[in-house]
Amino acid sequence: MPSCKDITEHSSDYLERNLPWWKRPGYWLHLAMCIHCRRYVDQLKLTIGTISKSPDATPPNISTEEIQAIVEKMKQSTKK
Amino acid sequence: MANSTLPSDDELIPRLLANDETSYAQIVSAYHGLMVHLARAIVGEAIADEVAQEAWVAVLRALPKFERRSSLKTWILRIVSNTAKSRLRHESRTVSMDESLEESPIVDPARFKPNAHWASPPVMWHADTPDALLASTELRSCISDALSTLPPLQRAAVTLRDMQGLSMEAICKILEVSESNGRVLLHRARSRIQMAIEEHEGQ
Ligand SMILES: [Zn+2]
Repeated sequence: MPSCKDITEHSSDYLERNLPWWKRPGYWLHLAMCIHCRRYVDQLKLTIGTISKSPDATPPNISTEEIQAIVEKMKQSTKK
Repeated sequence: MANSTLPSDDELIPRLLANDETSYAQIVSAYHGLMVHLARAIVGEAIADEVAQEAWVAVLRALPKFERRSSLKTWILRIVSNTAKSRLRHESRTVSMDESLEESPIVDPARFKPNAHWASPPVMWHADTPDALLASTELRSCISDALSTLPPLQRAAVTLRDMQGLSMEAICKILEVSESNGRVLLHRARSRIQMAIEEHEGQ
């Protein structure tokens, strides 16, 4: 069975269902028995949700003027 | 992003190759924001816009040779990533781009007993939803600070995956890393943010 340290190292793989099949039973069993690791994995999940909703997660808005300026630059570059 | 009006790659590519101005505007409006977002993750706020603009010129130059092994979007973001990386190499030779080769642990080793089980386990957080966590101005800035101190490729991985929602496959193509390295970058980034939240929430 994996140690607590192993659980923390593969928790993203676990959440994204990317653990190799032979590692899954041990991982589940550990989580069933270890409240600390369950909390760790829950908090990772919460962290991911928080990152995706944080202000940094939104790509910057681009104004029409900016778009036009870039298009001009692109036109210039193809003329050369 | 206003992606809904963007034609398919099959329609778009020939028009871009024919220097169609409307298509230029469509594709810039669909992807420029994402490009600046990614460039910020790698080179920082100050020159991200410049990098994204430079990337557009590179996109047009390389487009005739685009082999369609990925979507146009993935390919464009890869050009952004490469432009940003070479800028970074140029400006600060000493900065290590990713720490994935150094064995920096996910969780501070001091928190485990010699048998690798918890000695100081995670404690309960006050808030238990993203919205509740983000309601704290202080925590928002903790998260922002933690993000800004991540190594560039870790920050890029978390930006593309958890913020822009791209697939791991696309992300690894964009950052030119192997699947397993991509996953390590992402997990390290998330863990650092988790530790930053824990420092704030776990008292
Ligand atoms: Zn455990």
